[in-house]
Amino acid sequence: MPITALENGIKIAVPESTKKLDDKKILAEVEDLSSCVCTIVKAEKFSLYYGSKAGVKDITMDIFPCSVTAIIGPSGCGKSTFLRSINRMNDLIPHVHAEGKLIVDGQDVYDKRVNLVNLRQQVGMVFQKPNPFPKSIFDNVAYGPRLQGIKKRSDLQRIVEQSLKASALWEEVKDDLKKSALALSGGQQQRLCIARALATKPRVLLMDEPCSALDPIATGRIEDLIEQLKSTYTIVIVTHNMQQAARVSERAAFFCLGELIEYDLTSKIFSNPTKKQTEDYITGRFG
Amino acid sequence: MRVGIRGIFDKAFTILTAMSVVFISLVLLGVLGPMIWKGSSAVVFRGTVEFRKMQLSLFQRGDEQALESEIIEADNFRKVIYEILDEFKRGIDREALSEQARRIHREFGKELRYKNIKGEEYSRLRSTTRDIRDKLEETFESQDVNEIRENIEYVLKFQDEPLFKNTIAAGYFSIATDFLKTAEEIDISKQYEYAKSVEDIEQIIVKLLGPRPGESKPTLARMRFGATRWDLAQKLINDLLVEKKWVEDEPGKPLIQREIDRSARFAGTKLEPLFDYVRTNAHKMLRPKLTFYWQFFIDDNFNSHYFGGVGPEILGTLLITLIGMIFAVPLGLISAAYIVECASDNFVLRIIRMCINTLAGVPSIVFGLFGLAFFVLFLFPKVGIPSKGCILAASMTLSILTLPVMIRASEEAIRAVPQTYKEASLSLGASRFRTFVTVTFPAALPGILTGIILSLSRIAGETAPILFTGAVSLGPVPKSVLDPTRTLSYGSYDMAVGDRISMMVPHNQYGMVVTLVILVLCLNALAIGLRSRVFKKLKGH
Repeated sequence: MPITALENGIKIAVPESTKKLDDKKILAEVEDLSSCVCTIVKAEKFSLYYGSKAGVKDITMDIFPCSVTAIIGPSGCGKSTFLRSINRMNDLIPHVHAEGKLIVDGQDVYDKRVNLVNLRQQVGMVFQKPNPFPKSIFDNVAYGPRLQGIKKRSDLQRIVEQSLKASALWEEVKDDLKKSALALSGGQQQRLCIARALATKPRVLLMDEPCSALDPIATGRIEDLIEQLKSTYTIVIVTHNMQQAARVSERAAFFCLGELIEYDLTSKIFSNPTKKQTEDYITGRFG
Repeated sequence: MRVGIRGIFDKAFTILTAMSVVFISLVLLGVLGPMIWKGSSAVVFRGTVEFRKMQLSLFQRGDEQALESEIIEADNFRKVIYEILDEFKRGIDREALSEQARRIHREFGKELRYKNIKGEEYSRLRSTTRDIRDKLEETFESQDVNEIRENIEYVLKFQDEPLFKNTIAAGYFSIATDFLKTAEEIDISKQYEYAKSVEDIEQIIVKLLGPRPGESKPTLARMRFGATRWDLAQKLINDLLVEKKWVEDEPGKPLIQREIDRSARFAGTKLEPLFDYVRTNAHKMLRPKLTFYWQFFIDDNFNSHYFGGVGPEILGTLLITLIGMIFAVPLGLISAAYIVECASDNFVLRIIRMCINTLAGVPSIVFGLFGLAFFVLFLFPKVGIPSKGCILAASMTLSILTLPVMIRASEEAIRAVPQTYKEASLSLGASRFRTFVTVTFPAALPGILTGIILSLSRIAGETAPILFTGAVSLGPVPKSVLDPTRTLSYGSYDMAVGDRISMMVPHNQYGMVVTLVILVLCLNALAIGLRSRVFKKLKGH
């Protein structure tokens, strides 16, 4: 297993080709690896209520760093709610309160003392619909770094270039960074949003159905991108597309009616689920 | 069949909508067309030599030497009119003749003393002239041609007196001969009527050509010049040629206005050629030239807009409007931002919103009275500003008037910004304030600009709120925001209701109104241009 040095200097062992994950031997190795590195997102009996109605109930799950975790489930089952709880985007909705613990990087997210700005810079988010700001491509990507107080043009340029390269958009837009982001195609916009999220150097990247508004080709490119990114970032992705979950994720969680039904390695969930509900959903008999 | 009917309906709908567009265009054309046509006559018209005289003397504008020669040329033609008038009046105006006779008597006495004629000779001559004078005065009173003739012949007997030759007293005989001639020529009973009519004619001529050369200049600027515009001159010439009179057609019926040709009335008299002369030589006397008086937009006015332009009015309107916007826009924007972004939807907020909506429907005069009571009478004395109407008070009143519009438009604009923008910004770690300033506000800017356009056009044309808070109809150009000012809207109102003089210059009234319309259009065009630029930028073209 080759050792790769990350930008932040941490050295980590990653499989040479993640495509070979179905190979049982490597899978076991990955599991070993995951369990020895401490979890980055940890939910303990976490519940979130909209007024008196529960969005998610009693979720307990660990999300491991530098891997892709997929959350699947029927509509309205609380996938997005859980995802958005991780960086507290649900705060925008009035009368929301949380119970239990949701720990990101050792800190309880719903602690009163938590610094939302820092939290959200650590936990980036990509939304269902591409939502670039009506600004230039450069300004879009530089938005996060600027919030962090980086003002020097050269620094910003470096970060924008890195982020755009990381989201595989650099080659397409490097000549006109001043162009409005809204002039890009849907797939390009979504990759721009990923670049924008990456520019703040997050540790966790939340993706809320990032491909649902895109055509298959653009979807393919985003999936390739996720493959590349997971060596550096912890990715949590909500998706309705089962094939996508199977393709990109290492672990998968099945949510139903606000509860976590099953959480395991993706290969296991799709080939040999323990719960009947999961099996019904995956085989298409339900949901 | 059903498809066919649907096609017909679709076509009918298309035609209907197209018709409505045509209808609206026609209405706009019908409203704006005549107004702009009439208003443009304040700027583009045929100016006479009097106009150029006025420009030179009131505004120090124009070529003095060219004007001088022009005046000389015009005066050549005008002279004839004065000669005809004087000639006619000599025989007609009996009072003037009596006055002349008395004057000759006085002057002759002085002349005799000057010539050192004394004693018996002096008293003889004096008694003779007194005799002549009395006789003439008696004659001028008389209505009987024979009596006049007798008297005149008596007077003319003294004509051969050697001491009268080449003296002022010779004037007696010329007026006596003239008077006899006139008395024989024209119906003596008509003389009084003529005298009255000539007075009218003289007045019209003064209006047309200005005061006679050599006469003292009147103090009022508008009396110093004749008809400055060719259209006005034509109207006066028509008045001169045709007299309008209320006559009773049949007894008991209402009076009817009839046009009576004046030249027919003076047929056979010495005045008759005047009318033809004026008709044919009007151009030469007034020398109309197509004038583009663009200074209308910068000039101050004279004698309640009789002359001059609307410069200070434009300045005042711009000042009041822009300062009003300076108050209204930030206040409206902040209020809207609070209502949309910060306030939770509760009872108090609903009351506030209801108040804002109600405020939008309050008559503007109420705002005017509020401005007077609150700003001018209450607030200003407290902060040490003189308690009188001023630009500041007017602007503040107008900003309150337009605040509801501003808040509603900004509110809708901010609400219309997609939630995803805000989410994206927040997810990157921005605070709510930062999100509003860097993302929501720029995205809402086109809508906010629409609100600004609406407010701008509303307050630029408002009259009632500034009636008591800062507008005046006459007065100096403001030096600071603590001075009252003239505005286009208030000026239009004042000219329409308060001022008889403005009825004589409808072109200036129209000009002022059209200037207001054009000013609002320009301000709007500016804002619309800005909005489309912002819009394009947002859309990424």
